[in-house]
Amino acid sequence: MSRISTALSAPFAPVRAYFRKHRSFGIFVGVALLSIALPLLTRVPPFDGIQSTNAWVNAFTTAAIYAMLAMGLNVVIGFAGLLDLGYAAFFALGGYTYAFVASPFTGVHLPFWPMLLAGGVVGAIFGVLLGAPTLRLRGDYLAIVTLGFGEIVPITLMNADKFTDGVNGIGGIDKPSIPGILQFTLTNPWPMYGLVIALFALIMIMIYRLQDSRIGRTWDAIREDELAAESSGVNIVIAKLQAFAVGASIAGIVGVVNAAKITIVTPDQFRFAVSISVLAAVVLGGMGNTIGVATGAFVIYLFQSILLKQLNTLVENFNIPVLNQIDFLEFQYVLYGIVLVLMMLKRPQGIFPARRRMREFAPLKIGKRGAK
Amino acid sequence: MATASVTSSTAGRLLGTVRLPLSIFAFLALALGVLGIDQFVNAMTLGAIYALVALGYTMVYGIIELINFAHGDVFMVGSFVAMFISSSLLGNEGSITNVPLLGVSVLVLFALTIGVMALLGALIERLAYRPLRRAPKLAPLITAIGVSFILQNLIQFFFGPTIVTVPQLVPIEWSIQISGSRVPLLNLFVIASSVILMVALQLFISRTRTGRAMRTTSMDRDASSLMGVNINRTIMITFLIGSGLAGAAGVVHGLYYGNTNYSLGFQSGLKAFTAAVLGGIGNTAGAALGGFLIAFVEVGASAFGYGRWGGAVVFSLLVIFLVFRPTGLLGSHTGDRA
Amino acid sequence: MKVFNKKGLSALAAVAILAAACGGSTASTAGKTLTIGISFPLNGASLASAGPARDGALLAIKEASIEGYTLKAKVLDHAKDGAHNPDQAAADMLTFVGQEDVVAVVGPFNSASARAQIPVSSEAGLLQCSPSNTNPTLTKGADGEALRGGRAVNYVRVATTDDLQGPAVAVYAKENGAKKIYILDSTDAYGKGVADAFETQFKADGGTVVGRQGLPTGTTDFSAAATAAKAAGADSIFYGGVTSDGAPLFRNALAQAGIGALPFYGADGIYDGTTEGSYIATAGANAENSYASQAAIENIPGKDDFNVKFKAEYGKDAEGYAFAGYACAQIIVEGIKAAVAGGDVTRETVRAAVVDKGTVFETVLGSVSFDAVGDTTQRIISLYKVEGGAWKFVKEINYGN
Repeated sequence: MSRISTALSAPFAPVRAYFRKHRSFGIFVGVALLSIALPLLTRVPPFDGIQSTNAWVNAFTTAAIYAMLAMGLNVVIGFAGLLDLGYAAFFALGGYTYAFVASPFTGVHLPFWPMLLAGGVVGAIFGVLLGAPTLRLRGDYLAIVTLGFGEIVPITLMNADKFTDGVNGIGGIDKPSIPGILQFTLTNPWPMYGLVIALFALIMIMIYRLQDSRIGRTWDAIREDELAAESSGVNIVIAKLQAFAVGASIAGIVGVVNAAKITIVTPDQFRFAVSISVLAAVVLGGMGNTIGVATGAFVIYLFQSILLKQLNTLVENFNIPVLNQIDFLEFQYVLYGIVLVLMMLKRPQGIFPARRRMREFAPLKIGKRGAK
Repeated sequence: MATASVTSSTAGRLLGTVRLPLSIFAFLALALGVLGIDQFVNAMTLGAIYALVALGYTMVYGIIELINFAHGDVFMVGSFVAMFISSSLLGNEGSITNVPLLGVSVLVLFALTIGVMALLGALIERLAYRPLRRAPKLAPLITAIGVSFILQNLIQFFFGPTIVTVPQLVPIEWSIQISGSRVPLLNLFVIASSVILMVALQLFISRTRTGRAMRTTSMDRDASSLMGVNINRTIMITFLIGSGLAGAAGVVHGLYYGNTNYSLGFQSGLKAFTAAVLGGIGNTAGAALGGFLIAFVEVGASAFGYGRWGGAVVFSLLVIFLVFRPTGLLGSHTGDRA
Repeated sequence: MKVFNKKGLSALAAVAILAAACGGSTASTAGKTLTIGISFPLNGASLASAGPARDGALLAIKEASIEGYTLKAKVLDHAKDGAHNPDQAAADMLTFVGQEDVVAVVGPFNSASARAQIPVSSEAGLLQCSPSNTNPTLTKGADGEALRGGRAVNYVRVATTDDLQGPAVAVYAKENGAKKIYILDSTDAYGKGVADAFETQFKADGGTVVGRQGLPTGTTDFSAAATAAKAAGADSIFYGGVTSDGAPLFRNALAQAGIGALPFYGADGIYDGTTEGSYIATAGANAENSYASQAAIENIPGKDDFNVKFKAEYGKDAEGYAFAGYACAQIIVEGIKAAVAGGDVTRETVRAAVVDKGTVFETVLGSVSFDAVGDTTQRIISLYKVEGGAWKFVKEINYGN
């Protein structure tokens, strides 16, 4: 299954062995290298013909924001096995938290950095508030409750216009700054890129550590067999709440960053479609595998917002006959749909399946086939 | 001792069978009192459409435990197929006042649309879901989302992104008087055709061999397979019926509202899915009840000027309801999986 | 009923023009290349309303010629899932900012996208002209100041703001004898904003609002709201929102509830011609006795000329925001010409030439100039009525400068 990746990584075996021992450092180095390589790549054809390096860097930043959301949702779905269809709600709550304390709308202007934490705390609080009464629901009932929550939050933000400025949203949100050293601007995407990449690495390291910790193993146990876990003394409700809170707080933090990046929050930015595209990224990337879902989300975002949009330009550049008669903008979502279906049919376990999960599925398949 | 327990359980069973109709009756009476006859009829009509769509959700969920996100869009496609058949094939332009002709036209419209949509549903099942029958549970959910994207955008490509008008065959002027209020026959027609289809479905599921196969498959697929049930065939029939009902809902939607648009499926699908869960997902009678309940909540909100909170009210109700009754109104037929 | 509409063809045509514009260097005399960016939501439901604005802008750019320079257009689409997406709108603006030969941008279409774009374009000092934004807070007051970040004005618009349109319709409704109005809005920035402005004016003139609520875009069932309007005893209806939000569906529901004869008021959201999917086409016979407004003058000086040119180019009639899109591109071209005359074409000189308060631009919409915050000084609201299945001009209200 992972023949190609094994073949590719064979020469790097000693490096891999080193980084397996020092994983956090490995993630740090890997992310740093990638974050330098990506902008360099955009100076090479065909990427340089699509858009300027600054625009690419901005796109990478947004893609990394999606990737962080996917990693957070993966904690809930991939680790604890709880289907959450309203993840965008926590993303929204983080964004509005920052908007309330750093915009002309309220007149309050608190600094950005501590608000990162505050966004996480707000996310976690709402995660627990939603989770506490509903986590005893099983499987798909939980899914619909989260879906409902995901609808309630933007509707409330939209209609409670005295407090949120309704559909107009809150604009003019403060950009981060390091006093005396660096003021973030909208036309220079590099500082935000650096911030998001650093946060990306931190969150990834945190999630890997969590996964290896007692909590992570508890989640494994619950996902595999709730009853067995419970009879072994695991407090199911607490463990599920922890997963929910961790996922929600990541969304809250990312929400703060996102609000500071685009300087406006509106209820429409956080509708069901966002929850669904993050979910699609998690499943396509390979549930349970943190690096997999992050890569999946990153690639899907770029595919959806750059490649599909630029198909026209690309086709024109290469001047492919017949194809250059078609307006791909018209078909971008049909293409997206077809890609989703084909990817799932080809690799139902995702592009980068979690190793543990692969082992889980293999014997299951043989057993069922035998029964048939 | 033995007789006593028999009697009490008989009484209990009797109470059990009467309780549901009684509470439905009480709810309807209350709703009629609060809303008045006009809004009551509005809610019943909207509920009839939600219920037809919710049935497809719940049947598919019941049998393969898939939240079929494409089902709302199947309903949307149904409304376009109905529009196309009605205006292009049958050449209808507006209402038909000749009663026999109207009857024939409507029947033909229903039959053709249901047929086309049943085939489309089966095709989707064959291509996008069947290959994933043994795959991780979320994989078919993602293909369903993919199918939803494809359907929406193909319809948008062929029919444009704007609102498309549909011939309203039943004249909207026809009405009867009920206690001083004018009740359009169109609404009664919508309610009646939906109820007929739902009763037919119940009879099919409870009385026929195939219906029994569907029920056993949803309870235990492997055991049914050992007992000689053709699983693939049974699942395909479920999709045929579910999508056919969505097609019927599409016909009814067009006749009642006189229009459709490519993005219709999303909101309606969400509401219908909520209805299915509210009723106890996997339970066909529950889905129908859930559809009506949601319609009453929405119409109620709008009747009292809180339309902008309608969606939030529906979903809050859902969350609260599930906290106190986790298996929905009528309980789920399917066992929980770990 | 057409199965295959003309949309595909027109899109092809647009691409062809774009290709021609991009590959035009062979035809025209070589010179420094200047690019005008076009930033609209161009897929899904947004295409129907924003598409004509794009077509208009492309046409103006194609027609313009500036001695010693090659003029190009670059179109970016910021719609996602069929709706405008502010995040993508900001990203697209950054793309324009990063491309050095882009001297100005036509767009965006929606107010929410403008809120995301203005901070970016303002920072870069890149001029943008919106054909359709009508939300007052984009430019005026503290909100406008916050969006600009205290910098010089770089955003202008040719449509008059909503705070005039709503009241104009309210005054007109009052003249027509409306006393008890039922108001429905689409809950979004435009619909709710215009309904709020209408309500304030209508009440100030002594009218009664017998009911008010909102039903979001995507609602298909308006029967309960229609019945509520009937029960409230309304003698007129106001709908704040655009056709695709459900204005004609509400009108049909009113008819089904038996009050389809009441006057039905809306703003420019329902003034969208008679083509397929428009208010009149969808509401059919029920559209009679409906009233709407437009934040522009009716007797557009070059209307017929423009129609001929537009039809020759795209094979369809100019409608909706085609005029405004064309006017925005015209204004930008004039700005570039002024900068050329000044001897130095940069973003800054083009911006300064356009936002200059004294300059009057002769456009397809008539004479346009901008005030201190970039709003058009042509503050005229035209009022229309449906008669015999078409919009008939009734009168205009001039709010002066």
